[in-house]
Amino acid sequence: MAFKLHGAKMSTYTRIVAVIAKERNVPYEFIAVDFKAAEHKQPPHLQHHPYGQVPYISQDDGFELYESRAIARYLATIGSGTQLIPTEPKAYAKFEQAASVEYAQFDPIASGIAWEKIIKPHFGKVTDEKRVEELVALLEIKLDGHEAILGKQKYLAGDEITLADLFHLPNGNIVFERLEYGFLDKRPNLQRWWKDISSRPSWQAVKDGA
Amino acid sequence: MAFTLHGSSEFTCTRRVALIAKERNVPYRLITVDVKGGEHKQPAHLKHQPFGQVPYIIQEDGFELFESRAIGRYIATLGSGPELIPTEPKAHAKFEQAAGIEYAQFDPVANGIVKEKIYKPFFEVATDETKVQELTAQLESKLDGYETLLSKQKYLAGNEVTLADLFHLPYGSIVFEELGYGSLDKRLNVKRWWKDISSRPAWQAVKEGA
Repeated sequence: MAFKLHGAKMSTYTRIVAVIAKERNVPYEFIAVDFKAAEHKQPPHLQHHPYGQVPYISQDDGFELYESRAIARYLATIGSGTQLIPTEPKAYAKFEQAASVEYAQFDPIASGIAWEKIIKPHFGKVTDEKRVEELVALLEIKLDGHEAILGKQKYLAGDEITLADLFHLPNGNIVFERLEYGFLDKRPNLQRWWKDISSRPSWQAVKDGA
Repeated sequence: MAFTLHGSSEFTCTRRVALIAKERNVPYRLITVDVKGGEHKQPAHLKHQPFGQVPYIIQEDGFELFESRAIGRYIATLGSGPELIPTEPKAHAKFEQAAGIEYAQFDPVANGIVKEKIYKPFFEVATDETKVQELTAQLESKLDGYETLLSKQKYLAGNEVTLADLFHLPYGSIVFEELGYGSLDKRLNVKRWWKDISSRPAWQAVKEGA
């Protein structure tokens, strides 16, 4: 079932929804939320997203959802294409473990770096370089964990790709490609995995805008 | 099936797992990891938890899992007791939205506060009070979202309690009760919800230790 994707073209979390929609061949209409006018903090928007953020989606039958990963998990059950959430109970448990690695280990730090180095300058604010240094040091430690996991299996949940891998794409693109910290240089498993997931057609399609 | 819970009795994420085990009547044995002595950073531990953290579990059949929310989600499918994850597709999507609220809106802020005020002193590192001030201001902002959401429904995913509510208990009890943040007296819906979930017998059973 098609949906409207309310967000910002280059927003990390808007593009998470877009990439999974592409993976699952679910059509969507993109509707831009005007950040510069602080539309996302106004009452009409807050009706749909009480935390004043993007994205949220709306379907023709009135069903609405926010939180990009929740939306993506929902999209993974509709449409057609690659199975992105395993169903067998223990494989599913390993998927939830990998999903948690993304939202609890990787994202808080990677998104913090993206906020300081990319988003703040975009809105004319000054980067806190000391904070960036702290975050980069923390991310080095986390990525050693990824490297260990990916030394034993092809993807984070096992030998099949899942949402947990794909959720790394937008912030991974920033910290691994756009910024030059060399995280991949000393980590051959991480590099192999990153090359694999970032070359998927679904990501190529939305990488530069949902 | 019973499991060993490798962690530290009073630690937040260890108690998060214990809570769900109590809710679902799944027996477990706590095996203490000597965190203060750095056991969690040693190779023997890293084999089970590559990020050098607690907890992780080992089932009787050898199946292992780490990441407390992934473990909680797995335990919710075992044992017997309240249904903590809805199965109907749209209700499940709303559950994932609520789960997202916990790990993406609440946890980064609550976790940050608890790290500064509780864990840093535990490891004899100085608290950064400026950071605490920033985080408590962010917490106030997030709780406005909770207040709105909880004015329309009893729990975060709808009118039934789910894992998404319960996952707030370990960090929430420190932030709201022990440290007194969150201005719950001004947020009557949040207060009602908090009183409800924090009075559950399963939480009372593990609140002081897994």
